[in-house]
Amino acid sequence: MRPRLLFGIIGIIAFTTLVMINFSQSISSYVDFEQAATLSGDNIHVVGTWDNSRPAQFSNETMTFSFYMKDEAGNSRRVTYPRPKPNNFEQADQIVVIGEMRGETFVSRDMLVKCPSKYNDATTPDLSGM
Amino acid sequence: MIGTLGHAALSLAFVSAIFATWFYYRAAQQGGEKNEAIANALFFLKGAFTLFASGLLVYLIFSHQFQYYYVYNYTSSDLQNVYLWAAFYSGQEGSLLLWILSSFLVGLAIIKWTSPIYRAPVMMFMGLTQVFLLSMVSGFPIPGWGDLGASPFRTLASEMPDAPVFQQNPDFVPAEGSGLNDLLRSPWIIIHPPVIFLGFAMMTVPYAFALASLWKRKYHEWIHAALPWTLGANLCLLTAIFLGGYWAYVTLSFGGYWAWDPVENASLVPWIFGMAGIHAMLIQKKHASSHKASIIFAILAYVTIVYQTFLTRSGILGDSSVHSFVDLGLYNHLLLFMLVTAAIGVGMLIYRYRELPEPKKESPVLSREFMMFSGAMILFLVGLVIILGTSSPVLGRLFVDNPTPPDQQFYNNWTLPFGILIGLMTVVTQYLWWKRHDAESLASALIAPTLGASVITIAAVMLVNMNNLAYMIYLFAGVFAVIGNGIVMIKLGRRNPRRAGGTITHIGFAILMIGFLGAAFDRPMVDSQTREYNRAVAAGQVTDDDGFRVNQPIEFVEIEKDRPKLIDGRYMVTFKSAEITEDNRPGEQEYEVQFEDVESGRTFVMRPTVYPMLSNSSPGAVEWTVDPDVRTGWFRDIFMYVAGSSLVDREIARMERENPSQFQSVDQLGPQMADHDPDETKTRVRRGSTIDMGGYSISFRNFIYIDEAELPEGSIIGVKADLEITDSASGESWELQPRYILASDDDAQYAINPAEELPFMDEGMVRFTEIHPDSDEIELAFRGIDGEPEREWILLAAEHKPMISVVWLGTFLLMFGFSVAIIYRWADQKKREKHENEFGPPSENGNDTDDLSSKNKIEGKDEVPV
Repeated sequence: MRPRLLFGIIGIIAFTTLVMINFSQSISSYVDFEQAATLSGDNIHVVGTWDNSRPAQFSNETMTFSFYMKDEAGNSRRVTYPRPKPNNFEQADQIVVIGEMRGETFVSRDMLVKCPSKYNDATTPDLSGM
Repeated sequence: MIGTLGHAALSLAFVSAIFATWFYYRAAQQGGEKNEAIANALFFLKGAFTLFASGLLVYLIFSHQFQYYYVYNYTSSDLQNVYLWAAFYSGQEGSLLLWILSSFLVGLAIIKWTSPIYRAPVMMFMGLTQVFLLSMVSGFPIPGWGDLGASPFRTLASEMPDAPVFQQNPDFVPAEGSGLNDLLRSPWIIIHPPVIFLGFAMMTVPYAFALASLWKRKYHEWIHAALPWTLGANLCLLTAIFLGGYWAYVTLSFGGYWAWDPVENASLVPWIFGMAGIHAMLIQKKHASSHKASIIFAILAYVTIVYQTFLTRSGILGDSSVHSFVDLGLYNHLLLFMLVTAAIGVGMLIYRYRELPEPKKESPVLSREFMMFSGAMILFLVGLVIILGTSSPVLGRLFVDNPTPPDQQFYNNWTLPFGILIGLMTVVTQYLWWKRHDAESLASALIAPTLGASVITIAAVMLVNMNNLAYMIYLFAGVFAVIGNGIVMIKLGRRNPRRAGGTITHIGFAILMIGFLGAAFDRPMVDSQTREYNRAVAAGQVTDDDGFRVNQPIEFVEIEKDRPKLIDGRYMVTFKSAEITEDNRPGEQEYEVQFEDVESGRTFVMRPTVYPMLSNSSPGAVEWTVDPDVRTGWFRDIFMYVAGSSLVDREIARMERENPSQFQSVDQLGPQMADHDPDETKTRVRRGSTIDMGGYSISFRNFIYIDEAELPEGSIIGVKADLEITDSASGESWELQPRYILASDDDAQYAINPAEELPFMDEGMVRFTEIHPDSDEIELAFRGIDGEPEREWILLAAEHKPMISVVWLGTFLLMFGFSVAIIYRWADQKKREKHENEFGPPSENGNDTDDLSSKNKIEGKDEVPV
């Protein structure tokens, strides 16, 4: 076997292994609040929807936005977010918060607001009022 | 009626595309002018039908025919004409149509300009992609199965036959559409999508050429014709990526120009593979090697476009992208499209693999072909890493259930070392490209750029206090690449500027690299108090009420009107005014914020806007969006927006008052609101006593218990405070009874304290916020009669973003370099064709390039002393 080829193969194997290890470490799993409470680290992703029966507002004192979110299992928890309310918040049909559980509050460091209409509105039109 | 016509036109276009592909196949297989003429005619027909259908769709949009799902979903009658025009491609079906139309234009150019040897097979593959794309929008009726794909001419009634409105009245036509998403109402939507689809369409050409070369077993000449197209596709993708990034940065408040979002990656990866392909083709052109790599990269660039289209449009990215499409039932379609394009590419490659030319001897490491090939391989690896990250919803399942997308850190960590390698290699390769070097002469040629880059890097490191070793090496590689390629460009510019395209792109890339580093030094601009707080947070010294450590710094500052605050230790920032201008949208507000640079004494005004997204919101929950303002500087930008303000709060309150049914929904529930409304003044009053406040006297006469029947559901008990408010000046008095209701849900008790309007004052309110039974006092919160004017404030979110202009400069140089290269390669190809017509085609294996002397007659003087 030519040395350059051997070198290449070893390089590719090493590269692939490194990438896959790093990739597996940089992803995590979507969970609900109860599972989140048992996990450590501040990279926990919880999926859910805004619980709009409870207050949501930005506090000028603590500079955090707080709201209640209902996860996919139906648990509702208070969530704090260290920035003003994101765009599209009310319209989101899904919210992903990233952070950690502290007692009964989920302290998020990041939030993804998933809207069907960001580019393409496939929501069923509300025809009831017409 | 028009819908049926459009439906029919698209179905006919679909059928024409199938037949065109078939006749191109026959033309390629059997030859014959006649087959090709029929195929061309069918291809024109396909284009004409598609154009006609698009025209109809535009007509439907402009005439507001809301009975059509697409028109209903993306437009409304108040839209300006430019946005009605853009609405044509604002949805998934329309954007596919735009892609098909772009491909049609590219097809016309191929028919006109491609040499007859490749024309028919290339057009066959172009036609095949058209069949797939058209099948997704044709709505072609298949008996016993339904319509094929999602036609843009679907009616609302057919889309939702179960809706009660349509069961009562099948001919129901909504009076108004749901409107174009407010975020898309920006001039950038006019230009960004067409450029990207033109890039997608052009990237089909190298794919088609590579497959045609495998089919016709002419493995060499295709690159000459495909090279300008690949360069063109890359120029389009780059321009589109730039436009998207700029749009995100200046108006969408995504916080930057790049976020490694899957939709962004979807155009980046084909661009990277296109780059790898261009390099492989150039090696093949110069050295008659790397035939396999040229073909593989040309196939990969297009397959990744289709793959990423699949990821973003099939709904599979659902959770992980802030802006992916929702599945329109095209999942299987897209999957099939992707599998077929990939299978044809891989299958044909394997079938012909043994036949593909091999280089006669291995190239030494210090040769331009080896270095360039390694460069192409590194680009390929970068592309693979990004694909891996983007594919996490699929590939992440190898490791966890329900995988999330990777941290952005994953992409950053991998692109950084690859960036360093690419930066260093561009210089070495360029030096080898223009002159033969041995190790010694190369080393001596590299002394100048190495020295220059070291000096500049050390100076920069000391200047900005950089303490990350990886950043230092990265910066060195970037500066090294700028200087090294710069030297080549200067020498080349004197002798043969037409050929400087490649060098300019390398300089552009190097500048871009340096610019990217700026993102590591983004910094929120806050006042000194917040900065101290953030420092304490970073040191882990801050805990919240529950004793948990706080690790989020505060990134914005509250500023009161006409009360300047020193921000970032350098700017005296004054909130001058806020007004509702309604400039571009109903309810739009503009803020005037003055910055005074205390170091230079210069002042400037920034005008961010905030607007309610009325067309996207339900009346009760209006969402607000910010539109930042950016002050561009040579080395750093100031990026700022208003994250909240007293004016927004007042507007929200006003909208809620005007929608009383929604009044109870958000704002009225819970105690937090009471604690944090900065415009309220609180006071305590004992039962039976009177207090004076802001020119009024307020007496609390007694409690009135609310009858259970009047209480909202879930409440435990409710009382009213019987108040009498007297204007101390006029003696006029009013009675008011604000309510305090204790309610509970599953696990918590909370108070509801709805605001009562003060009848004698605009926007004046009183709320009954607390009961103190021990002292027999109640707490009241007033708005409007605290004696002081209402506080005017904004939440300022400002960020210091270094080197953004450098990123743009690098991008422009890349675009310019691509353009120069396209012109040169196109002219070169024309000259080559002319030469062939006069002197006959070159030898079969196309080895016209191995030694320098034979090539010079085509390409002109080659060596540049570097």
